[in-house]
Amino acid sequence: MNTIINQLFEIEKKALEQNIDGFDRNLKRIYHELEEKGYKIVNPLGTNYDERDSSIDANILNANSKKITKVIRPTIYKTENDTFQLIQKAVVIVE
Amino acid sequence: MKNINIGIDLGTTNSGIAKYENGKISIYKNPVGFKDTIPSVVSFRKGRIQIGEKAREHSATNAENVFSSFKRKMGSDEEYFIKDLDRNCSPIELSSMVLNELINFAQGESLKSAVITIPASFDTIQSNATKKAGYQAGFEEIVLLQEPIAACLAYSNSLQLEVTSEKKWLVYDFGGGTFDIALVNINERDLKVVDHKGNNFLGGVDLDTLFVEKIICPKIEKETQESGLWSKLIAKENTTYNKLFFELLYKAEEAKKELSIKETSNIEIDFDELDISLDIDIRREEFEVIIRSKFEESFHLMEKLIKDNHLRFSDIERIILVGGTTYIPYIRQQLQERTQIQVETSLDPTTAVIIGAAYYAGSKPSELVEEEILNESKIEQSNIQVETIYEPHSKDSEELLVFLLPESFDGYYRITRSDGGFDTGLLKANKKIAEFVPLLEKTTNQFTLFLYDHQQKQVYSNNSIQITNGLYSILGQPIPNDICLELDEESGKSHMEIIFKKNDILPLKRTIYKTCSKNILKNSDQKLIINVVEGNAGSMIGSNLSIGYIEICGSNFEQDLLKGMDIELNFKVSESRDLSIDVYISALDLEINEVFNPHQRKVSIEKLTSEIKNALDAVIEEIRSEESTENYEYLAKLKRSEESLSVLYNEALENKNDALTDKKHQIDELKKIYIQEFDDIIRHKHVLFELDEYNNIKNSLSFYIEKASPRQKEEFEKIIKNEKEVLQSNNKYLIRKKNKELDSLLDNIYHNREESYIDYFYYFRFEDPSVFKDKSKHNKLIQLGEKAIDNSNLIELKSICHQLYDLLIVKPKRKDDFNTFDGNLGIK
Repeated sequence: MNTIINQLFEIEKKALEQNIDGFDRNLKRIYHELEEKGYKIVNPLGTNYDERDSSIDANILNANSKKITKVIRPTIYKTENDTFQLIQKAVVIVE
Repeated sequence: MKNINIGIDLGTTNSGIAKYENGKISIYKNPVGFKDTIPSVVSFRKGRIQIGEKAREHSATNAENVFSSFKRKMGSDEEYFIKDLDRNCSPIELSSMVLNELINFAQGESLKSAVITIPASFDTIQSNATKKAGYQAGFEEIVLLQEPIAACLAYSNSLQLEVTSEKKWLVYDFGGGTFDIALVNINERDLKVVDHKGNNFLGGVDLDTLFVEKIICPKIEKETQESGLWSKLIAKENTTYNKLFFELLYKAEEAKKELSIKETSNIEIDFDELDISLDIDIRREEFEVIIRSKFEESFHLMEKLIKDNHLRFSDIERIILVGGTTYIPYIRQQLQERTQIQVETSLDPTTAVIIGAAYYAGSKPSELVEEEILNESKIEQSNIQVETIYEPHSKDSEELLVFLLPESFDGYYRITRSDGGFDTGLLKANKKIAEFVPLLEKTTNQFTLFLYDHQQKQVYSNNSIQITNGLYSILGQPIPNDICLELDEESGKSHMEIIFKKNDILPLKRTIYKTCSKNILKNSDQKLIINVVEGNAGSMIGSNLSIGYIEICGSNFEQDLLKGMDIELNFKVSESRDLSIDVYISALDLEINEVFNPHQRKVSIEKLTSEIKNALDAVIEEIRSEESTENYEYLAKLKRSEESLSVLYNEALENKNDALTDKKHQIDELKKIYIQEFDDIIRHKHVLFELDEYNNIKNSLSFYIEKASPRQKEEFEKIIKNEKEVLQSNNKYLIRKKNKELDSLLDNIYHNREESYIDYFYYFRFEDPSVFKDKSKHNKLIQLGEKAIDNSNLIELKSICHQLYDLLIVKPKRKDDFNTFDGNLGIK
């Protein structure tokens, strides 16, 4: 499932970059279905990088880098026995 | 006497820990994140000590505070200056920190003895240094094991090889950062490293950078204006290119993995800053060309090892693979072709050494005094009094955790979140610890506080810190009743589905997806009705208060709205109780948004009339079915209900065209009261009926469930998982929904059995012959079918039933045809 979610994430990213807003609803719908199935997908883009955040694999550009400026793949959690478990770390660039 | 049982691979680049138990090995997973191993990296930054993945993140930009590959320096007098601690740290100390982090994987288990692996090249001083690291990490007993031996043990035990005569194996260990090759002698389960060679600066990471330099960069240059890209990528202080480098490195690693299983891979690069937007195809051969030289380096060492020992490849029985790089098919294939030796690929090469270490630990008796071992299972929890202060419910994305420690405590603390997404690393503990922790939305976040002494040994843990985000709130106000959406249930009937439950906290927001249950043609006056009511979800719809009502008429459509099309509904209730409904029908690209508030109640006289009519029909039906019971008191109540409803119904009909007076509001009010009264009379009975039904179906299922497929069994478990909640809900709609699910499952299981074809056959057998097309064929099939039953030939009977079905002129309705009814509201 992670691969499918990552592909979906890429599609969303491309749509955003190329200003295609035609399938907002479809993406929202798919994310909704995934949520119903117990997945929580987090896109940390634009947030400040917290070095304590172990749901993220960060590539830190320089010592003063703070902000997450690019997300190559998102964080994925899955509910197991009613609690969330991390199943994929986000890969991000911090600058 | 107990065995050691714990095995640890303390690697140059990665480390891991496993346990031997009842003949099986289980690798402890990293509780933060989910991997089997951690990078052997330690960072010290601003009072925070991080070990593993998080430490490695800073290695490029903050190299002076991040320490890795210290294993290479084990046993030397070299020390690392730690600016943050203002003192030197030996490789032993750093290794013991990695070991301690691995001990944390075992969460709470007290580990006193372990087998730790060392490279075959380690001399006595280096070996003793490793032992010392183990003792510093709190182990009381350390047994060392050479890595190649561990790998051989992993393979021989997993494959259950019986070695009866003397054999020679080669262990080819191509890890993330180092390469080692060892020649091992094996006889009757006794293993010995005869000789070894290695290169401390040859590993998988080198292959990734080569991939970027030799494959990706030239391809980008070819397609864009870029030149000298590689040197730009690795130049210092060139943020844009450094950023691209990281991205390419990540993608190269992914592509490398993909090329291990596929012939081609594809890398997509979208990099706005440099206006690069490319799709690069990479064939496995291209990758093989660039790694050839690295492989040759390793192969050369292997040849030398063989030659130095006056052997030939034919003297070697098998090659054992260790390290992630050996996943590459080219390496496996070259090893096989050029040596003609059997290459073992059955185990995961990245964990082979950990597994081997655990096997060894499982066979090695512990020499610790028995008494101490008896205490082993008890978690050492010293009597530290910690006062914990936090807000258990939160609406924010982070919350403050405060811990007050006794004055005397001197050591470190660490806070982790149980889902694996948060870890503070080790921090010096003061009398008061205050830490803002991030929360996952709309769930209960469980945190654990660990306290460690100076040796990084855990002395305290508390995992009962729970903060719930979004589900409750201290400031918000709860809604007093359920808020429900009316949906078609089957022809002529509707039921309510809860959108927001009683006591949910305002503001509320939810999106649900439904389907259209009737065809609404464009330009027609047919309507799709969205009715949102507030009240008790278990009662009749008419008895509730309609708080949001939208009619969408076919005359607004540019296309026909067909059965089965998706309807997206967004509901929002604000803190001041405004309800906003946003309806979107994607097939028509039609969006309707309305905000309702209690002052603007919309009452549709048409809808009112139909609700009264439905209730009236229900009363009459109930009276008819109860008349024979002679329960006069009950009947009298029903009759009263019937009278008031029929008077109201007539009134509603008379005022159909009244658009001016308040009459319809009065009717609406009375309708609620009357239907509520009727509902009170019959609800209990209906709920009981549905409960009975539930128990009956479940009983039948318990008989058939053993004949169900694994998937059906799984479905069964899923359906009954929340049964307690549903059965106690006092809500007949909810119970009825469960009944339908169970019934349909029962039906599937029943009909999946071959015996069910006997029933089918008799159904056809006693059907009037005129409903079949071909009389003579029908006769023949019936005869054949009877014969098949006599001979218990169910397979033949199955085929006969299918043929009889084909002969039917009018096919019977399918069991699931109830799904295809035409609804009143148009939404289900």
